[in-house]
Amino acid sequence: MNDKIAYFNDLLVRFEEIFYHELSGMSHPKVEYIGTDFLRSKKIEGNTVEEVVDSCIKEIKAGGLVEDITYSRAGEGILLVLKVKNCIHLPMEAKLQYGFKNEGGVAPYMCPIANMILDRILNILHYEMVYNALIEDIDTNKGECRLKCVIYESVAKIGQVGDWRSI
Amino acid sequence: MADIIDLISSRRSIRRFKDEPVPDEMIDKVIEAARWAPSGENEQPWRLIVVRNPETKAKIAEIAKLGTGGRVTAEFSLSDYWQKKYAGVKDPEKKARLLRTLYTGQASEFAGNAPVVIVVIGELKDMFDTPYDLSCAIMNMLLEAHSLGLGACWVHGPSVYPSLVKRMKELLKVPTGMGQYKLIATISLGWPAESPKAREKKNFEDIVYWEEFGRKERPK
Repeated sequence: MNDKIAYFNDLLVRFEEIFYHELSGMSHPKVEYIGTDFLRSKKIEGNTVEEVVDSCIKEIKAGGLVEDITYSRAGEGILLVLKVKNCIHLPMEAKLQYGFKNEGGVAPYMCPIANMILDRILNILHYEMVYNALIEDIDTNKGECRLKCVIYESVAKIGQVGDWRSI
Repeated sequence: MADIIDLISSRRSIRRFKDEPVPDEMIDKVIEAARWAPSGENEQPWRLIVVRNPETKAKIAEIAKLGTGGRVTAEFSLSDYWQKKYAGVKDPEKKARLLRTLYTGQASEFAGNAPVVIVVIGELKDMFDTPYDLSCAIMNMLLEAHSLGLGACWVHGPSVYPSLVKRMKELLKVPTGMGQYKLIATISLGWPAESPKAREKKNFEDIVYWEEFGRKERPK
């Protein structure tokens, strides 16, 4: 089973490398649909961001994709920080970062787990725009990833900037 | 054969337009310039949607605002990338104004005020180089517009998020299948209401190598 996961992760790394090589920095926003189908086929419900995210986490854990996800919100409700523990894609992020043969890697830019949660917020709560803005920390020793996502409830939320670096 | 370097180097990205219509024959000339662009295997994948309806332009502008503003709000708040990029702007008010136009998405919203918006899409099926072909067509259009005294600016912003692209395609009734048409940009077109200075360009010696990567001396 682990060999199969490693195989699929290697495929994703190659795709990410090629995609980045083709599109440079704009490859990041273009991958927002990757991973979304998993939760589209599940019954995800909620009337608030917290309810939807909790519902997503339950299904993601039940599917065996991660051991745990914790989250917090900040930045006037725009920033959604996800902390993912022991994700099956963690080796993919690590391999992408350093390259297959240390030939110069690519900063990880795609998180299928974040994408599937953001997609549910967009479609269930009818948010205006969502975006996995930053894969901040990838700690292979602890088996953790930390992601900073933005969720804009309305157009009026666009431009509400702050200092979110230390959050 | 005329040397067009002066035309190329005097072109600016124009984002403010006079409230005056662009004659049809000029729009046709701009499109004709696209028609003559090079394309892989001469496939000519470009298709152009000319939009003059104010409601449609306003919706395009809103999607563009979301694309740029949504991204830059996050980047501005999570890193010092944009502060560094504008570090050379000494006047703090000007710097703040420039940054605000970016994170509010205003920088990409001008399609709503342009007399004409040309939406550039390209066929994907049986094509080989669609994005690059479309970029060549766009450059031809920008130069032709400039040569006619018109102003133009192309925006890729609304075309980077698949969810926003889908909204744009639905708005313009473009087939939404990922294997059908690529929406690469909008070009706003009109009579210039501003005369921006030239942006700083990298020096010749900073961008060219001779014979191999990294070799800066021109061989004798």
